Amino acid sequence: MSNNNAPTDIADLQYVQYQGSKEATYLPAIRQLISKDLSEPYSIYVYRYFLYQWGELCYMALDSTSLIGVVVCKLEHHRSGTFRGYIAMLAVQETHRGKGIATKLVSMAIDAMTARDADEIVLETEVTNTASLKLYERLGFLRSKRLHRYYLNGNTAFRLILYLKPGTATKGAQQLGDSGEMLPQQQHLEPGYGPSVTPV
Amino acid sequence: MADTSTNESSTEGDGEIKVTIGSAADCGLDRDSASPKQAQLPLRQVPQPIVNGGSKVWDITERFTQASQALKIGQLVKDEYFTLFESIGALEIMDPKMDSGFLQPGETLEENYDALRTLLPEEVLGIMDQLLCYEMAWHQGYPLSQTLFTSVYIDRLLWPEPRSLEEAQFYRGNPGRVTDALQDVLRAYCLGIIKSCDFVIGKITSRDYFEEEDFCTHTYNRSLFSKVPHDFVLHELEIAEEILATDVDDIDETVKAAINCRLEFRRNFLVALSPDYSINFLDKYWPPVSALLPAIESSHELARVVPDAFSTKIQRRLTSTVPPRPIVELEFKDAFAKLKQLCEDCAEATKYTFLDPAPEEYQSFLWAFASRKVQPSAYARSYLAGFVFAGDNEIFEGLLRDDLAAMVFPEDQVLDPINWTIDAPRNPLFPKDKRLQMASIIDDFTNRAVQNYVELWTALCQNRCRMRRMLCHSLLAFDQLQSDASILDDELQALTSDLQQYPLTTWVYHLKLRQIEWIIQLGFEQDIYLPDELAGMYLFLAKVAETRNRLLSTLLEFWEQRQKRLEKGKKVDVEKAAKVQEGKAYIEALLAEAVGTEELSAALSSLYTLLSYLHLLPQPPRPFSSPELRYDLRTKPFALLQPVEIIPFDTLTTHIHPFGPHAAPTSPSESIVKHLQQATTYQPIDASVKRAKDAFAKLKKLGPKAASAEGVKEQWSGRVQGRLFSCVAAGVAVAGLRGMAGELVSTADAEGKLRVEGVAEGEGEGKRYHEWWIVPKVVKL
Repeated sequence: MSNNNAPTDIADLQYVQYQGSKEATYLPAIRQLISKDLSEPYSIYVYRYFLYQWGELCYMALDSTSLIGVVVCKLEHHRSGTFRGYIAMLAVQETHRGKGIATKLVSMAIDAMTARDADEIVLETEVTNTASLKLYERLGFLRSKRLHRYYLNGNTAFRLILYLKPGTATKGAQQLGDSGEMLPQQQHLEPGYGPSVTPV
Repeated sequence: MADTSTNESSTEGDGEIKVTIGSAADCGLDRDSASPKQAQLPLRQVPQPIVNGGSKVWDITERFTQASQALKIGQLVKDEYFTLFESIGALEIMDPKMDSGFLQPGETLEENYDALRTLLPEEVLGIMDQLLCYEMAWHQGYPLSQTLFTSVYIDRLLWPEPRSLEEAQFYRGNPGRVTDALQDVLRAYCLGIIKSCDFVIGKITSRDYFEEEDFCTHTYNRSLFSKVPHDFVLHELEIAEEILATDVDDIDETVKAAINCRLEFRRNFLVALSPDYSINFLDKYWPPVSALLPAIESSHELARVVPDAFSTKIQRRLTSTVPPRPIVELEFKDAFAKLKQLCEDCAEATKYTFLDPAPEEYQSFLWAFASRKVQPSAYARSYLAGFVFAGDNEIFEGLLRDDLAAMVFPEDQVLDPINWTIDAPRNPLFPKDKRLQMASIIDDFTNRAVQNYVELWTALCQNRCRMRRMLCHSLLAFDQLQSDASILDDELQALTSDLQQYPLTTWVYHLKLRQIEWIIQLGFEQDIYLPDELAGMYLFLAKVAETRNRLLSTLLEFWEQRQKRLEKGKKVDVEKAAKVQEGKAYIEALLAEAVGTEELSAALSSLYTLLSYLHLLPQPPRPFSSPELRYDLRTKPFALLQPVEIIPFDTLTTHIHPFGPHAAPTSPSESIVKHLQQATTYQPIDASVKRAKDAFAKLKKLGPKAASAEGVKEQWSGRVQGRLFSCVAAGVAVAGLRGMAGELVSTADAEGKLRVEGVAEGEGEGKRYHEWWIVPKVVKL
């Protein structure tokens, strides 16, 4: 797998679910694509943390030779009581942005999590990342809160949430606990794509 | 599994993994039975341990390599406690972006700046100002490792840990070398900075704050002279000023003056930061600091930078478990602005201690402080919180009783101090004095409520994002409190009929409703709601404010009755009546604000509903969502409240979708246009705007004293004015739409003829008259 920059007709793209048995084929390209827009790369453990446990929630957009886009997610029981999906990383090659590839990848991930009975899907994105906000908000996500200085670079984030099932709110609200993940900052994933992703 | 906590393994890069006995067992490498494949490994002799000092080291490289072959690529060996956090904390050695010990070919491990090199006076100035930039970057929330701790000079003073201030020298490790006068001056300045940092950390950690969100307190095992009294450091700074005056004579006087004012600034700054302040002189600490700032700003042009005196290589010695991170560069003018802001905010914070000791005054102050144009930094907020929470819970119980008196017990027997002086009857069979019973009911209530009350105050001292999140928690606590309060109210009612109905419940309920309003309004301020959500959210706000309006109207009637009755009484009662009349103004101010909020929200909700049918607000397609699910998400923080506050979904829909969904109306376009062209459509909206304007004008007329905002008059007046301007702008927008509606043939026409501004992402930032009021601008194209 390589990350070449030659523009491809998006009609030729294939959308493929990740397979753990092909880690050697896919993972280097996934890492390269996602690292491009990060100030600090994630270690291999971060990728494996997601891909080993929730590989079936990772989708890739491929052309004949290279990886064009990828979305990485997890789905687990959250302490608020909900079965919560989380979109951890999303990236599309710069040359292919603005063609709806990210939207397609996220849609597939949402479908996959819905099929696995998720109550809700959450993610964070920088408040200044208009393209990303638009992408998710077009699909149905709403902003639930603003997270002050959420990222290592000091930027503030919005938490976005998409409810998939009725009753999710009261399921989560039965406890006094915060609906957010209150872990130290290193945990926070930087948005896995550049500021210029434009959905179609 | 590789140990990245030692530099040797990563810098030598020989791939050898050293494991001690304990950790080898922890890794599970000795447990051959762990997997069937591992069990098939040939038995080997245990290698001889290398005894190195007290610890034994086994070379397990070969075994490890062999054992790991039993794993598939990509397979993760982990227990259920291995979290995302840990996976993110992991580093890959020999990756230059993650491994801080990685050396590029020819790169040296340590920086090679000589801290004893002779410095030009301009360079001393340059280093001082660079340090100030990093200090302010740290105040903004970046870690010391990317700011002040990149300074070679600071590093020399702090490591290895000096046993005394005298030991903290630039020539450490170079016995026999001495420093010259300018170096001594720089050293004193650095000592001053280090002690300042110590005070800052002490203050912030003594209050509620969020590590890394508000501030990074990590000092990487360096002690910032915590045990050295600050007088010692002040003394060093004074000596430095003397040295500068007497021993440094061959330099330009302007440069000398510039260095001197920095030393003087550092001295005053350190005094102002000191936790040992005198409450009587609190207004005297910050003005001298601020007074020195112009001289620093104007002399910065004399400074000459010394980039080599700072290096990220020092990070290698601070921690090896964090990837190398760049120095956070803050321009001098930005850093200076931050410093100026910090001094102003702290000076402002001291005013808290001079306020009228009334809870409403205090809370007005907290709101004004949190709403300053530039958000006060973590230090400034902690500094203020230091005054707010200076006492124990008893002080807050007192404030709570005052709060009750100001709201629901006007000159009331229930809070008469006499009640707390009555002894219980000796014989437990005798009935207790009613006054004693009242006192114990109030005590029960304050005991029960004080924690929630303190938490509410704590929320008001947080950064704005956190404030909204904490209010969501506090709201649920007050909801619980409300049901408890009603039981105590019944007990009170059994003792006396001369009461506001359900006084304690009223007090809790009012504060609860206010918190709902704050949460929604902070949501507007923080761009939480998308443009097509505004009609619904303002409708909800209108409903909550309406409930509060009713509650306060009933309360006001009670105050008026009490005033009238007391006026007719004896002299002592007439005096009380005057006090009731004075206190009533506060209820009137609250009521005016509630009415204004209700009416302006209702007007905006209607306006946004109309604009939605003209496709003038962005409406995302949302294939994965439904209005019901979004409603659930939006109402979540309020869903469990008793009584029910949220508007039922169907009612909400009828209100904001009178012609069916905005994007696909069920009514024909012509009938919507017709509706838009009728004067009757706008009359109720105009009427609402007018009532809002009247209410806010009344609030303005009542003034800051009535609203218990005497201590922050100006900010208070500014914010009331902002609400009034918002009303005017709303009126203009309604008129703009009405004026255009006549030209429309169908709803689709509007897009080419009108544009709505001030609503979309980032458009409102700093441009709103009041952050809580998103008023659209209807522009004719």
